[in-house]
Amino acid sequence: MNVRRHASIGFAVITGAILVSACGSTSTATAPPTSAAASASSSPTAAAVHTGNPTGPQTLSEDGSSLLYPYLQKLETGITAAYPNITLSAAAGGSGKGQTDAISGAVDLGGSDAYLSAGQVSANAGIMNIPIAVSAQAVNYNLTGISNLKLSGSVIAQIYSGTITMWNDTAIAALNTGVTLPATPIVPIRRVDSSGDTFIFTSFLSATNSTWSNGPSFGTTVSWPSVQTELSANGNPAMVDTLHSTPGGIAYVGVSVESTALVDGLGEAELENASGSFVQPSVTTINAAVTAGATNVPASLTQSLIYQTGAQSYPIVNFEYLIVNPSKITSSDTALAIRTFFEWAISTTGGATQDDLSAVNFVPLPTNVLPKVNAAIASITG
Amino acid sequence: MILVRRRTGGLPAGPARVGRASSADLSRGDRILRWVSGIAATVPFAGLAVIVVIMVIWAIPAVIYSGTTFFTSTKFFIGNLYAPTLTVSNGISAPHGAIYGALTFIIGTLSSSLIALALAVPISVGGVLMLSEWIPRRLEGPLSTFLELLAGIPSVVFGFWGLTVLGPLLAQHVFPTLARLGVVLPFLKGPWAFNGQGLLTASLVLTLMIIPIIASTTRELVKRVPVLAREGALALGMTRYEMVRVVIIPYVRTGIIASALLGWGRALGETIAVLLIIGMANNPPANAYGTTSTLASGIANQLDAALSDFTGMAVRAIAELGLFLLVISLLTNLAGRLVISRVSGDALPVGRGI
Repeated sequence: MNVRRHASIGFAVITGAILVSACGSTSTATAPPTSAAASASSSPTAAAVHTGNPTGPQTLSEDGSSLLYPYLQKLETGITAAYPNITLSAAAGGSGKGQTDAISGAVDLGGSDAYLSAGQVSANAGIMNIPIAVSAQAVNYNLTGISNLKLSGSVIAQIYSGTITMWNDTAIAALNTGVTLPATPIVPIRRVDSSGDTFIFTSFLSATNSTWSNGPSFGTTVSWPSVQTELSANGNPAMVDTLHSTPGGIAYVGVSVESTALVDGLGEAELENASGSFVQPSVTTINAAVTAGATNVPASLTQSLIYQTGAQSYPIVNFEYLIVNPSKITSSDTALAIRTFFEWAISTTGGATQDDLSAVNFVPLPTNVLPKVNAAIASITG
Repeated sequence: MILVRRRTGGLPAGPARVGRASSADLSRGDRILRWVSGIAATVPFAGLAVIVVIMVIWAIPAVIYSGTTFFTSTKFFIGNLYAPTLTVSNGISAPHGAIYGALTFIIGTLSSSLIALALAVPISVGGVLMLSEWIPRRLEGPLSTFLELLAGIPSVVFGFWGLTVLGPLLAQHVFPTLARLGVVLPFLKGPWAFNGQGLLTASLVLTLMIIPIIASTTRELVKRVPVLAREGALALGMTRYEMVRVVIIPYVRTGIIASALLGWGRALGETIAVLLIIGMANNPPANAYGTTSTLASGIANQLDAALSDFTGMAVRAIAELGLFLLVISLLTNLAGRLVISRVSGDALPVGRGI
């Protein structure tokens, strides 16, 4: 009898501990709701959105995309300078983790290069993906003495499928007349974490190669075909490191870390766009893709900018999203802080400064989507 | 249960039981001690039970969804989350194209741990014999302390070292030589990753990690070989080699098997070091150097992606992987313990190997 009691107490202690850990990591909101008068709107681009400095300190936690992370690091100091009660704490666990943590409420904002899937939206009522900037992805390679190699999405798909295995393959040579390609094996490097970079990269491959589109298709995690020489890396910085230590390697790298790749002496491929011209990522080519692709963005803000037409359009361009789950926002002060951060972050007179954007090779949101973005931000309430 | 057995067990009524006659006589301290120790004794058992029960409950839908595919498919894919339709199997739906095969992870786990075991056992036994027979006494202490310190190195340090130092070193200087054996053993022909990531590098790091486990157990056993038997053998005119072969090896043989099983259990479950070195690919290794995943590294590796599955099936498939790993780890550990308990008797097996 006694023993039974002991046993059940032990059991209760354990289940209690499990419950406690399961309920961990909630929002940091403690301050009382702010009055409307105390928080007059201060953002010129957001007349309709109620923003301002929260009455109490608010730490907005963010986790997700390692492509977006270098940019958010720059916003961390700026937001606190503009609104002393708002602190942004960003991390780079990968876009898949950003989506998951935002959905579960473990973080206030989930960074993702990929928009949410229809399944995720219908499983989580009210969930929003709100773009704060436009990004792109470079395809880098490690071949000494060969710069500006021309590649097409279809050829890259065949490399990642293991059907093109050598750098001097006729398909690559056909795109690069006059270039002496080495007879070395190609080592495709791919992301191992659930990654928005994988999402936009495989979206590009799916748009250009029907075998890929009907096979691995696209997603933050795909079923990669088995390639004998393949390597994996966790996060964008690791992609650059792995490529750097792998002669003959090829990797897809978010433009926010592209400067480290180029400093390392890695080559940046010119990619064939939908109009048949070969382009590298730059402000001009990214903006060209945005102009072509963002003409009719839906209210859900779910829009692919991959493989757009136009002679200048770079083919791997995407919106950088922050995911918000309004059902996990516990106070109106937190909601105010989130709205204020968003409005500040998308404003070219606020956080979206030319210096910060060009340091990570991003471009600001096109003006024609701002009304829809503002409408989404305005609907975030506690 | 255990407390009951102790209380009603074979202890004679006498001084030992004084003060336990009725709980009314107990002092406050005694009562607190009884409660605290009762809870403490329950925690490990209840903890294990809760883990197993929760894992089983979580894994059931995945077990139904996968059926035998779990053991026959090398493909572990959480499905296309962006596809408009779901895949339904045995009445359970998962994202389009989701397939939860564990064969890649099973192959990766068995090959990495068995390579590590095949290398670690001779190295450990040889090292221990060197230590006990030839190394001067005053060096034996520091050397065996060093061996024990090796066991205390955090596995993430092993992983980091394997990733940054050992891998590139092997790829540049060792694998090219090893590849010449490819004529006889085709799986050694290559190719390999330039930074050395893959099965063989992971196995070599695992070897280093399990040597302390096998060596320290073997050292204890060698120490317990009766001096009389050793000296007798030498007095009969045997050489050191003959004494080792005829007296020591037969005496410690079963113990080595037991410690090898314990080391194997460690190698099966090792996660972070393997995760960092093995290349994290979801395919079986193409050759001895190939990138792949083990059950443990695969679980750690897939979890983030699995959590983004809105149907929740991927996490349940991970639970099935975890349950499978738990079972095989428990079995090897149990087997090791059984063998050890068999040899820890007084019977002297000397001479059985002649």
